[in-house]
Amino acid sequence: MRILIHDRNEEFGQALKEKYDRIIRADGKYAPCQGCFHCWTKHPAACGMKDSLHEICRVIGQADDLVIVTENWYGGYSPAVKNILDRSIGTSTPMSTYRAGEMHHTLRYGRHSSWSVLVYGETAENEKKTWKLLAEKNAINDGFRSSEVSFIPDTEELEARAQ
Amino acid sequence: MKTVFIDCSPKKRLSASGFIAGFTAAFVAGKKKKEKLRTKADYGRVLEAVKDADSVVFSMPLYVDGVPSHVLPFLREMELYCKESNPALNVYVIANNGFIEGRQNEPLMQVMENFCARSGISWRGGLGIGGGVMMNVMRIMLTVFFGLAILNTILAVVREGSFQAGPLLGFGKQALEVLFFGCGIVAFDLWLAFCINRQKPFGKRYTRVMLPSFVFILFADIFFVIASFFQGGMFRGWLAKKKPAD
Ligand SMILES: Cc1cc2nc3c(=O)[nH]c(=O)nc-3n(C[C@H](O)[C@H](O)[C@H](O)COP(=O)(O)O)c2cc1C
Repeated sequence: MRILIHDRNEEFGQALKEKYDRIIRADGKYAPCQGCFHCWTKHPAACGMKDSLHEICRVIGQADDLVIVTENWYGGYSPAVKNILDRSIGTSTPMSTYRAGEMHHTLRYGRHSSWSVLVYGETAENEKKTWKLLAEKNAINDGFRSSEVSFIPDTEELEARAQ
Repeated sequence: MKTVFIDCSPKKRLSASGFIAGFTAAFVAGKKKKEKLRTKADYGRVLEAVKDADSVVFSMPLYVDGVPSHVLPFLREMELYCKESNPALNVYVIANNGFIEGRQNEPLMQVMENFCARSGISWRGGLGIGGGVMMNVMRIMLTVFFGLAILNTILAVVREGSFQAGPLLGFGKQALEVLFFGCGIVAFDLWLAFCINRQKPFGKRYTRVMLPSFVFILFADIFFVIASFFQGGMFRGWLAKKKPAD
């Protein structure tokens, strides 16, 4: 399955509809994670907050290839995108294991394939360095085999690059 | 000298970030303010507190290898304020994460450093603590044990009319054990407090609960088994590949 998470407008997703099995628009109309871990310990793979992200981990968990289109915020994701990632830890289970020589959680949906990030907005050199590390670490943490980051200064090009 | 400690955990009570912020503050001299940054409603108040500060200490949990999403818009507001007013601010960060390796906080530290660069304020370094949940459990248990020791001591006086050192000695032993597992955290944190007092750079340091990772993983698994048993998740498809509704 190929899944896109993006923080652009509705039309952006519409234009890419054919290319993805699922498109998640990070519109920011949802609550941030409260850190309760109930998506592991109480009602597995579901959040206690019943907004549009209520069961989002069940969707993201199905991804083989995940593409994320995000504005650059200090070398990391925009708040709307990061909010979705924070609310998705149900893609893992509470049990722990080793991955890449570090402690991580076991994967509810098994291994995934590629984690690609398309970063737009002005991005400084130090931020690019952070991005590379962050995507690499995200891929390990969430059980993706590879990670890739591309910087797209011109938002006009985003649609073509996200094909 | 004024130092503002910002607990960035979304938890209302008993956050690891709040604990370690308070612990650090205990060793910092001068005027101190502790703020909680949980929702957008806190932004204005926290920004006000930052305005006449010399140093700001962000204490936050690691969320998916980065800064929790609810903190980011605050950073943007603070950046705008800093660009406008050019305050001479020192920024320190304490990050704690669930996994045992404190080093997993590195991307978060870099994001915070990049935030300082954009805002034109001084990045003074950060401390990343691995095993944050365990640190938090240990300090909560230690408080409970202390309460029990005091209670037992009083009960002994009431019942037998004499002071018994047993319960307090028992607590002393428990405190030493916790101190052993937490020695890295305490040592690095005291060093951080020393640097905050002198407004000096601390660098980027990582420490952890002093346990080998395979033992830590065992404890973490036991912790989640117990939590999932009592909260019922274990009986609701605990590890199942749950399908979306549509
Ligand atoms: C949404 C979410 C994401 C998390 N991501 C990570 C992670 O990537 N790595 C890690 O080591 N711990 C992770 N944790 C664990 C927290 O960092 C840990 O529980 C921390 O001690 C919480 O601190 P607090 O009590 O101050 O909120 C995550 C927790 C939550 C709720």
